[in-house]
Amino acid sequence: MTADQTACTAAVLEETPDAAVVSNLGTASYHLAALGDRPRNFPLTGAMGSTTPLGLGLALAVDDRVTVLDGDGSMLMSLGALSTVARLDPPNLVVVVMDNGAYETTGGQTTLSTEVDFAAVARDCGLSAWHVDGDGAFREAYADAVATDGTGVIACEVDPGRPEEYPPLDYGHSYVKHRFRREFVD
Amino acid sequence: MAWHEDAVEALHDGGVDVVAYLPDSVVAPLIERVEADDRFEAVPVAREEEAVGILSGAWLGGRRGALVCQTSGLSNALNAVGSLSKPWGLPFVGIVSRRGDLGEHNLAQVSAGYGMPGVLDGMGVRNSRMDAGTDVGRVVRLAAETAFSTEDPYVLLADVTLTGGKP
Repeated sequence: MTADQTACTAAVLEETPDAAVVSNLGTASYHLAALGDRPRNFPLTGAMGSTTPLGLGLALAVDDRVTVLDGDGSMLMSLGALSTVARLDPPNLVVVVMDNGAYETTGGQTTLSTEVDFAAVARDCGLSAWHVDGDGAFREAYADAVATDGTGVIACEVDPGRPEEYPPLDYGHSYVKHRFRREFVD
Repeated sequence: MAWHEDAVEALHDGGVDVVAYLPDSVVAPLIERVEADDRFEAVPVAREEEAVGILSGAWLGGRRGALVCQTSGLSNALNAVGSLSKPWGLPFVGIVSRRGDLGEHNLAQVSAGYGMPGVLDGMGVRNSRMDAGTDVGRVVRLAAETAFSTEDPYVLLADVTLTGGKP
């Protein structure tokens, strides 16, 4: 069984409508963008492996809730970042690893995520973590991750695939950056 | 004051309050001073590329950050600099000990260390060398002002003639 990435992304926005959402380049950002434009979305356009660290830095700077929508390929690229997250353990951060087992945007080649239990790795780092493979289970885990004392990590098994339609991202980069930052800085 | 003390005061003057670092013996005195100083949040990372992400997020949230590492570490971070810091205009100040030049004993440090100014120039990342004659406080203040006013990273490469090199 797998969860539906669109449904899980929508659940994040329903459960925490005011959260700053930092999404990994490619599929995670396409799914987020497909649900509508939000000033508090920061969809990466590159820097694979830097999505969770960027969310961590933001969570250290603001009191607002921050949710990272990472991908399995990106998390594998910087698995050590979970140890950095664990050291700081900000309570306003949730990291979701949307694990579709594939490098979706480069043609769907398989990743090595079948070799890794992301939730177990996060727990071994001392973080609260959940492993889910269904929409209802994701929604429950996300609520629990939001409520936990420190950072929560959710590994969510999803099918590969993009939304049928999604708007183009801001490849000019300037507008989204300033709009996003203005949400937190006068 | 020692160069690292000047650098720390200048970072504070420049509004920097987050310092992400990976330990290095040459910049250890700077890191230790930051860790002991309540004006800064010191963030140890497992790989320097993470630091670029963390400092980018911190800036988006209204804070100012510095990356402290050695040139091999900055090499680990170059894709994040090129595909996050540069296109989005997400600033940080780099204080990076430059290996690979005068006095270097380890050939493994030469390519990334000696070659780093050219690598950064090639990527469009502004940078300056700091050597024994550098007014460190002034240069670090200017680097912070430059990075955060133009929303673009600025990297200072500390040569062995300034730092004394690897003990």
